Amino acid sequence: MNKITIILRLVSELLLSLGMMGIFRKCHCKGYWAFIPFARKFHLGLVSEKEAEGRVLTVIEVCRICLDISLFAVPKESRLYMPVLVAYIVVLMVDLIYLVRVYFGLCEVFQREKRWVTCFILLEPVTALVWGFSQRFQPVRVLTPEGGHAPAPVSRRTAETLERGLTVNLIHRRAIRYFRIRTILADIHFSIPPGRMVLLLGGSGAGKTIFMNAVTGYEKANAKITLNKSDIYRNYKSLKYDIGFVPQQDLMRDNDTTYLTLLDAASLRLPSTVTQEEKRKRVDEVLRILGLSAAKNTIVKKLSGGQKRRLSIAMEFISDPTLFVLDEPDSGLDGTVARSLFERLRAIADNDKIVMCITHTPDRVADLFDDVIVLCKDSARVGRVAYFGTLDGAREFFDARTMEGIVRRINPKEVGGEGRADEFISKYAEKGGLTA
Amino acid sequence: MTPAKIPHTGRRAQVLIYLGKFFRMFIFQNDWKVLPMAAVIAATVCFVVGPNLFVTMEGTVMGSFALSCVCIWNGLFNSIQVVCRERAIIKREHRSGLHMSSYVLAHMIYQAFLCLMQTSVTLAVCRFTNVRFPAEGFITPWILLDLGITLFLATYSADMLALMISSFVRSSTTAMTIVPFVLIFQLIFSGSFFTLSGPAERIKDFTISGWGQKCMCVQGEYNSLPMVTVWNTLVKMQNMTVEVEGQGEVKPLFDFVIYAYDNGLIDVIEAETGRQSPNPDYEKTKENVYSCWLHLAGFIVVFSGMAVLFLEFIDRDKR
Repeated sequence: MNKITIILRLVSELLLSLGMMGIFRKCHCKGYWAFIPFARKFHLGLVSEKEAEGRVLTVIEVCRICLDISLFAVPKESRLYMPVLVAYIVVLMVDLIYLVRVYFGLCEVFQREKRWVTCFILLEPVTALVWGFSQRFQPVRVLTPEGGHAPAPVSRRTAETLERGLTVNLIHRRAIRYFRIRTILADIHFSIPPGRMVLLLGGSGAGKTIFMNAVTGYEKANAKITLNKSDIYRNYKSLKYDIGFVPQQDLMRDNDTTYLTLLDAASLRLPSTVTQEEKRKRVDEVLRILGLSAAKNTIVKKLSGGQKRRLSIAMEFISDPTLFVLDEPDSGLDGTVARSLFERLRAIADNDKIVMCITHTPDRVADLFDDVIVLCKDSARVGRVAYFGTLDGAREFFDARTMEGIVRRINPKEVGGEGRADEFISKYAEKGGLTA
Repeated sequence: MTPAKIPHTGRRAQVLIYLGKFFRMFIFQNDWKVLPMAAVIAATVCFVVGPNLFVTMEGTVMGSFALSCVCIWNGLFNSIQVVCRERAIIKREHRSGLHMSSYVLAHMIYQAFLCLMQTSVTLAVCRFTNVRFPAEGFITPWILLDLGITLFLATYSADMLALMISSFVRSSTTAMTIVPFVLIFQLIFSGSFFTLSGPAERIKDFTISGWGQKCMCVQGEYNSLPMVTVWNTLVKMQNMTVEVEGQGEVKPLFDFVIYAYDNGLIDVIEAETGRQSPNPDYEKTKENVYSCWLHLAGFIVVFSGMAVLFLEFIDRDKR
């Protein structure tokens, strides 16, 4: 590479960075990201509303620079030169495809015609300068910056640790992804004594599953969560057998029988001191409790949707957990089957257990629950508790007759809700939180 | 407060639980189908390369490479989807106390059984299609056992390679996309059909096909076999004429070929050609065989270890 080429590349890079800085600022993104090579591509994806593509572009950029250096370092006569060159060409092709996708997104954000993508590809620095500094180019949507909105006020109280039962004092749950620290959940405090069945209510994307993972200790948060006074995070290895988590999908092997699936689950989850005979007895008992005795020898793939769901629940219930957490156990089930399933869960809760459920159709089974946790995203996009307490109390608190009415109150306007999450979070925080 | 420690199912017991599951799958699912498939593949290969395998140098190189490819094919397709197709299930079970090392070990034992059966099927097919094996064994008294160990190790290491890929990728589609690349790599860098030199030659050491083929060539006594290429070429060139001063156009090779035919010297010529062109890599020594076996065993250890390592990170899978 001669000097002129190097100078031209540097100038082009500088112009591109300046142009991108202008675009980023217009989209309410920090301008300095434009000068950091890998971060620039990611933030370009962000402002173009193509975050996934931005992530890929970042990785490609790293590969491209590594291969660029390799091409410079490896002599042309070397046998290595050819594979490096081929890899470089492949990376360039992928880079081009993803760049086109991102620029299509940028055109949509700026409400400009798609032909501008060609200009970006052929004359990237110049086009970026025009878009970045001309007043004629303005985005119709801008990035919501982290911390750009004042978060709803936090409650000052912490939940008192129960001698028996679940106590959650979650300060925050954060995740670091591609140059960003995001707070996903914050300020969640409550305690649930045994024998309660709790509904976890919230719109899509409110962070319900993440919350459940944090409560069960599967994903750690900055929190103190105790079950019967034992710290779940500290004693996760031993306590995980006392917590049953039923995932949203029916995750089991299709070609085993119901009985053998449960027997294997029992072998995995029950203490090794339990004899084989006792395990068999427990399997029979769980089959009876969940109404699966008739399907004992049926192959899993031949079970109905409701039976599969009950088997999935049975696999966790086999170890007789103190805390039983279920992620949408009624998804895909009709009203009657769902009702019957929740009645069985109610029976489990009545047996001195804590049952926590996510469901998107809560009203058909609302009478079976004791308490409700209403989770929603505040304007800073952080998952917060808007209410915890009895269902009647929730109806009064949100001035809604149904659980779905509550969800409508807190859901953002763009998904058909009233967008009043902040209002209820503040109202709940002012009351200092509640305990059941 | 720290809860009292209650012992739960240990690693060994978990291996047994999963072995039970896998063997049930073998009977009730379609896993048993790999055995007739192995027979069909072996029969096809034996039909093409069988007559010259362990008979001539060229046939042995070609045939042992083809058998290595059979092993790789069998091994890859045994395992390529076994983990990725049930990744979500494993993730759930991991959450409930499954040890990944137990899960992988159970797979290793089950796959070893499958590979052993496939090796037996392949050898049986070779026997039935009249492949002429060397008279006696080299490491053990039985040549079938010697070759069986090689075929098993090649199949099993390919199986573990597939298990590693299956543990790393997140969908069956991705796994099946990777397979052709693995096969092409094994084909090109085995060193059988393309002469490798420089850094590419070193890559040969990382191929299952390379070590499998080398081992079979050693066990098939490659260096003591006749070479037919030279004689066949001579026959093709017998009518070649050259200008000799005072004699005009003559056919020097024609007379030699006729003489060899008439005096039954073809076998002698082929044997001598083979003796003059030994390949030091295929020298019949126990060290050579052990080295091949050790390398293949090394692949098994590395690939299975990597599979455990990849699966340990399964909790990081996002929705």
